[in-house]
Amino acid sequence: MKDHLNIPDHNKLFQTEPYVKQREGKKAFEAPCSEQETAEALAYSKTSEYKDKNFARKSLVVNPHKACQPLGALMASLGFEKTLPFIHGSQGCTAYFRSHLSRHFKEPAPAVSSSMTEDGAVFGGMSNLIDGLENSVALYKPEMVAVSTTCMAEVIGDDLQAFISNARQKGAITEELPVPYANTPSFAGSHITGYDSMLKSIISTLYKRSGIEATPGSGEGTGEKLNVILGFEPYTGNFAEMRKILAAFDTKYTFLGDHSGNFDSPATGEYSYYYGGTKLEDVPKAANALGTLSLQKYSVKKTLEYIEGTWKQQTVSMSAPIGITATDRLVDAISELTGLPIPAELIDERGRVVDALTDSHPYLHGKRTALVGDPDLLIGLIQFCLETGMEPVHIVCSNGDNGFKGEAEALLAASPYGAEATVHIGNDLWHMRSLLIDNPVDLSFGSSHLKYAAKDAGVPLIRVGFPVFDRHHLHRYPVIGYQGTLNLLTTVVNTILQNLDDDSSGFNHDLVR
Amino acid sequence: MEPIRKDEFDSQACGSLTPKTKPCPRPKPGEAAGGCSFDGAQITLLPIMDAAHLVHGPIACAGNSWESRGTLTSGPSLSQYGFATDLNNTDIIFGGEKKLKESIDYIAGRFAPPAIFVYATCVTALIGEDMDAVCKEASGRLGLPVIPVNAPGFVGSKNLGNRLAGDALLQYVIGTGEPEKEVPLGVNLIGEYNIAGEMWDIEKLMNSAGITLMSRITGDARYKEITWAHRAKVNMVVCSRALLGLAKEMEKRYHIPFFEGSFYGAKETTYSLRQMAFLMNDREMERRVDRLTEREEARLIQDLRPYRKLLKGKKAVLYTGGVKSWSIISALKELGVQVVGVGTNKSTDDDVRRIADRVGDDTEYIPEGGASRIIKTVRDRKADIMIAGGRNMYVAMKEQIPFIDINQERHKAYAGYEGLLRLAKELTYSLTNPIWRLASSPAPWDKEEPPYDR
Ligand code: SF4
Repeated sequence: MKDHLNIPDHNKLFQTEPYVKQREGKKAFEAPCSEQETAEALAYSKTSEYKDKNFARKSLVVNPHKACQPLGALMASLGFEKTLPFIHGSQGCTAYFRSHLSRHFKEPAPAVSSSMTEDGAVFGGMSNLIDGLENSVALYKPEMVAVSTTCMAEVIGDDLQAFISNARQKGAITEELPVPYANTPSFAGSHITGYDSMLKSIISTLYKRSGIEATPGSGEGTGEKLNVILGFEPYTGNFAEMRKILAAFDTKYTFLGDHSGNFDSPATGEYSYYYGGTKLEDVPKAANALGTLSLQKYSVKKTLEYIEGTWKQQTVSMSAPIGITATDRLVDAISELTGLPIPAELIDERGRVVDALTDSHPYLHGKRTALVGDPDLLIGLIQFCLETGMEPVHIVCSNGDNGFKGEAEALLAASPYGAEATVHIGNDLWHMRSLLIDNPVDLSFGSSHLKYAAKDAGVPLIRVGFPVFDRHHLHRYPVIGYQGTLNLLTTVVNTILQNLDDDSSGFNHDLVR
Repeated sequence: MEPIRKDEFDSQACGSLTPKTKPCPRPKPGEAAGGCSFDGAQITLLPIMDAAHLVHGPIACAGNSWESRGTLTSGPSLSQYGFATDLNNTDIIFGGEKKLKESIDYIAGRFAPPAIFVYATCVTALIGEDMDAVCKEASGRLGLPVIPVNAPGFVGSKNLGNRLAGDALLQYVIGTGEPEKEVPLGVNLIGEYNIAGEMWDIEKLMNSAGITLMSRITGDARYKEITWAHRAKVNMVVCSRALLGLAKEMEKRYHIPFFEGSFYGAKETTYSLRQMAFLMNDREMERRVDRLTEREEARLIQDLRPYRKLLKGKKAVLYTGGVKSWSIISALKELGVQVVGVGTNKSTDDDVRRIADRVGDDTEYIPEGGASRIIKTVRDRKADIMIAGGRNMYVAMKEQIPFIDINQERHKAYAGYEGLLRLAKELTYSLTNPIWRLASSPAPWDKEEPPYDR
């Protein structure tokens, strides 16, 4: 359709004269200090003296890079068939979580809240929980309700177990309805801790109710199956990639927690609250599987402990398999757990991706990088960098523990390309800004939240991890496995080439690279 | 802070400043609910761009909310920083007041803002932190306004949070400063948050009529300008009732007349500008405004012609918060779009009355949330388009319903005469995009006829 009106976009409109004038006018009462002072302060914020002061900061968090436990719990709940995430506490948190996930996946995120108010603060949240369960079951007809708490319910010390059994006694919900619950206060841990607690609770609840006795590797029709966990996984494409790899092996498997359906559902003309997810009946049967393979470590600790302890199963866990070495380890692990040979298809694919990496390596070699993200993603990215000759310099992990720090440092120490790296746990993006400015790098990897610090420091940002709010569809493209490595490589090398073009001044504006 | 007493809230009917309205509707447990009071308070105050906004609580409230609002700034951006005390287990047991004090000191020392707003959250309210005392002490010591905002999430809805933020402004900010020179004809805009730069369009219009914008409360505001808001001649409450109490109280205290208006749609815009001039009681100004609005409206009619042709008779379902529930209806009507369903869950009685004034009898009111409820209305009423906020957007996409985003994540400014043009353009684009044909027709192999000759 022909555009009848010339309506300038956002950026251009506000650069036109009347708006520029308005802005100038406003300066009169803006800041009490002069432009020079402002410039000086800005310059000071870029010195190493300031960096040291910034790192001495203890009480305050500036620009956090973590979300809280119930957000992770919500994601875990949506990994199961017809499951309604129910968040017990005051309502605001739930709205935040839904927006957060919607903005990342560009999909609806169903979840309900028990909407506690000050009555709850005084008398406890039992009636809210019971009424909430009754209402939500009537409205959304779930087959399972997964209850997690916010800090409010935790501070007043609500007893979920008792409340839920009271709800059953009162007939608000039936005996048959499974209602796993997890305590997920946001003043401890982060979204990955919440993911873990909820996943464990769902698995153990469904297992207990079923009456099945775990006999690994011997169950009827399930004995030769593999359990696969992807964890707090911001990429729906990673599920698809894993499916592809497992199909190449021709092995049977059960995903324990698969939210890819809910966060990547087709537009059919009819919205349903529930898409895909692990079948509830498959969960207890998973106790009889051959073993459990997990593609995250730090975000499923308790779940893995449970599976080892209660199901007496062999478990293999690794952080995000990004890069050739890490994917090789994944493929080996599947082969070992299932006893199946490594499929030719994957060997070919590996060869092609190795070829691609050799094609691009001249542009990657020696590129200094900064990385921000969840622990498992970071381990994968560090490996990828080291493998391609990029040099990780700054690594910031807000929600990493000492175990992660040790592993990351060991990994870095084993390669000459890791010699300059420092790993920071518990720090935030304002720390990262100081690092980027004080000791510049060529490329940064992280979520959309890093874009401000990256812009301040003049470093290109490769968007990877969670959350990515300002780019579309990235979550559909896997970053794990051979294919995922190729995707990541493509983004990285083309970002570098684009920057070369943007910076070139004519004589070096090359056609072939 | 003072513990919140239930009777206080009930008797004061949702915010201490608007005693006559009915309480904000309480959310029902077990539904997909909207934001909390903390969220509402933040929305109101975050657009004060040069101030620091510190969230006192665990990471949830800050970690999930920072940097996610589309309120634009023309200069300072300190307000976009996510400051949080990030309380952990030990703080919950031993108290977070020391951490709060240290955080305030750090911000004052490192960022030198003109003021710091400190937000209570569910947790700090529940463990009984004396935020007011810490803020007061810090204010005195640092010589800098440190303002407690007592709107923890559990006290109620987002709307209530807006009002509590208004209370904080009245109590701590308005009336504490004086403009350098006297402004004879200044207007405050209350409840305009500069989403997608809308305030700038409004400001441009006001300026062309010679009206001075005294204080922005709070879109693209600077802290200082709000301190002298009491010197304005007129208060305009832009849409909704979130900050109506603030205007009422200013009328009482400072004798500033106020009116409620909107800038969505040409009629509303003209009305609002006229009303400003009228309340300023300045003949010359009234004449200028008349000339401006006549000229703009005439031009708009021309420009809108091609769009009206396409939009005439189209039906829309509107689902948005109190802010735009009724005012957008006028804008849509001017474009020839009929509103066949409208959300009322966040609207007050007055809002509903205004909605009723503007829509026909057979318009369906959607009192409660839930995507399926909205979709049902779209289907039942055979609506052509859905106009709502981000959380419902993706549901519309699943149902292949053309959609435009009207809430805070959008990047399009719809206020004023030019805004109406933009709205017309967006509606047309959304309705006519070829993807809808593709999405709603079956794949070739599902059609009865073979798709091509064999
Ligand atoms: S409901 Fe309470 S804990 Fe949740 S976001 Fe709002 S203030 Fe924070």
